[in-house]
Amino acid sequence: MSGAALLEARGVWLRYQDGRRRVEALKGVDLTLGAGEFVGLIGPSGSGKSSLLYVLAGLRRPDEGHVLLRGHPLPADSGARADLRFRHLGFLFQEPFLVPYLSVRENALVRRDDSATQARVAALAGAMGLADLLEERPHRLSGGERQRAGLLRALADAPGLILADEPTAALDEATGRQVMEALRAHAREAGLLVVTHDLRMLAGADRVLRLADGRLLPA
Amino acid sequence: MPRPSPPPAPPLPRALAARTWLRRNPRAAGLLLGVQALVTSLFVLVITPTSAFRATSERHARTLDAFTIVAPRSRPVLDDDLAALLDANPAQGGRIPARVYWLRTPMIVGEGEAPLLALDAAAQPAFLARVGLRLARGRLPAPGTAEAAVHETLLSARGLGLGDAFGQDVAREEGVPGRFTVVGALAGEAFLGVLDLAYASRPASVFVRRPPIELVWARPGRKAESDAWLHAARDAGGEPAFRVVDAAFARAEIDRLLANLPLLLGFVTGAVALVVAWIVSLLSVIAFHLRRDEFALYLALGHARGRLARKLARESFAVAALAWGAGLGLGLGGVALYAAGWLAPKGIVVDLLDPGALLCSLLVPACSTLGAAFALVRELRRMDPVAVLQRRGA
Repeated sequence: MSGAALLEARGVWLRYQDGRRRVEALKGVDLTLGAGEFVGLIGPSGSGKSSLLYVLAGLRRPDEGHVLLRGHPLPADSGARADLRFRHLGFLFQEPFLVPYLSVRENALVRRDDSATQARVAALAGAMGLADLLEERPHRLSGGERQRAGLLRALADAPGLILADEPTAALDEATGRQVMEALRAHAREAGLLVVTHDLRMLAGADRVLRLADGRLLPA
Repeated sequence: MPRPSPPPAPPLPRALAARTWLRRNPRAAGLLLGVQALVTSLFVLVITPTSAFRATSERHARTLDAFTIVAPRSRPVLDDDLAALLDANPAQGGRIPARVYWLRTPMIVGEGEAPLLALDAAAQPAFLARVGLRLARGRLPAPGTAEAAVHETLLSARGLGLGDAFGQDVAREEGVPGRFTVVGALAGEAFLGVLDLAYASRPASVFVRRPPIELVWARPGRKAESDAWLHAARDAGGEPAFRVVDAAFARAEIDRLLANLPLLLGFVTGAVALVVAWIVSLLSVIAFHLRRDEFALYLALGHARGRLARKLARESFAVAALAWGAGLGLGLGGVALYAAGWLAPKGIVVDLLDPGALLCSLLVPACSTLGAAFALVRELRRMDPVAVLQRRGA
């Protein structure tokens, strides 16, 4: 671990009903992520990777256990959790989820569009090869370009914590590597948790953990 | 240790402004806008012509803005005492003797009556000029003849032209006895016609049964004062010596006759507004479902639901406001064409900018915005962003 605890999960359980089936998605997960640390999380489909990510992001409340951000438990109130997400969290999804009627630049600025964020977006776009595409709409971009545009949005306001859910799943290997390199290059100060089923994308990770049947194991 | 309260959220980015969505989504916004504009125009097309009830009556009443009718009571003619009393009116500009008959005119529902004033032939040109009328076609009635010059709108409304005849000898339900031939068409403000007083005063004439009256006009700018003086003189002790028919009297009659009209309009307005709100709410929810990914993303990124609800409400309001403007233009254009083509020739006046109708039409955007905002806030509160994002990502 290369920094103080930024994000912690302590004994997190998550259960939900899937039709008639009672699912225990997470079974007492303990996880610590430090500032500036890059942690990879692998596991087969249905192992609970995405569920853990959503719990850590405050989008799901654990049935048991706690999630702490900078030592403070995530509040029970969903509005307060959203506010923390807004201020501290960058999210990169398997699909980039770009707003179709906004340009790449506008998509990157959907959270904040103050001058500092605008300048950072311009600089990041240059470094990520998106400078010429900033005014384009998503439908004119290739798959790799769209994912980089999603990454640009995740990094736009320099969040302290970045959670990435299978960010390269829909990309070919070469493009996936480019996205991961860009993610690493521009999020060095942030804590980074990347969920993937492709171990090759986690080259350079400080730690790689494995989630199997809702339990966290060393890889 | 309690967490220090966070600084306020930054302002909503320009990318999330209502105008950005409106400009970039012409089809979705256009559909909502089009439906609301059409409903608004339909609303205006239905409500505005109802102003004809009052506007047509008011138009007729306006004739009495130029003069006041004074009719002697309990005496057959204007005697010297009464004449002296009238002439004591300091605001009076002048008066002439006349007899008044009434010409049936079609209203939007039922019929009204426009005055046919029997005037001395020599006094007619000056009187017509005083009330803002001019001879548009034909001529004024010749002395001693059963001829009439009538406002061209009244002629058009009655389907009469120069050379045509009207009166009880032509149609029994007519208010004017005998048979008169139209020899002139008048144009101008006052809806009236003129006959020849000498003909109407012949001892053998049935007209003579109608008592003579006086048409009183005021000095410039003193009409209200003159009318007030006449009312006061009429009510000054004992049995009133004369009746006063002025514009205020006519307008009070209109108010009395149309007292229940707002009930009907209120019901129609309310019912239409509720239906519109329901339709617009449904359309807004459909449009929102097409944008579920967008709003799930905003929620996942930490935008507060309240902020997004305000964004949706602003979008709904912007669409409703634009639709109201467009619908109003469309509706008023339609009413103007309808009024000019079909109503005006019948002497029916529509007040295009009737404040009541305009105010009622505002219910459309108000109910649309409220209905859409309520439905969308409910959708937003129910939305689970994880479910939406996982479904798309699966």
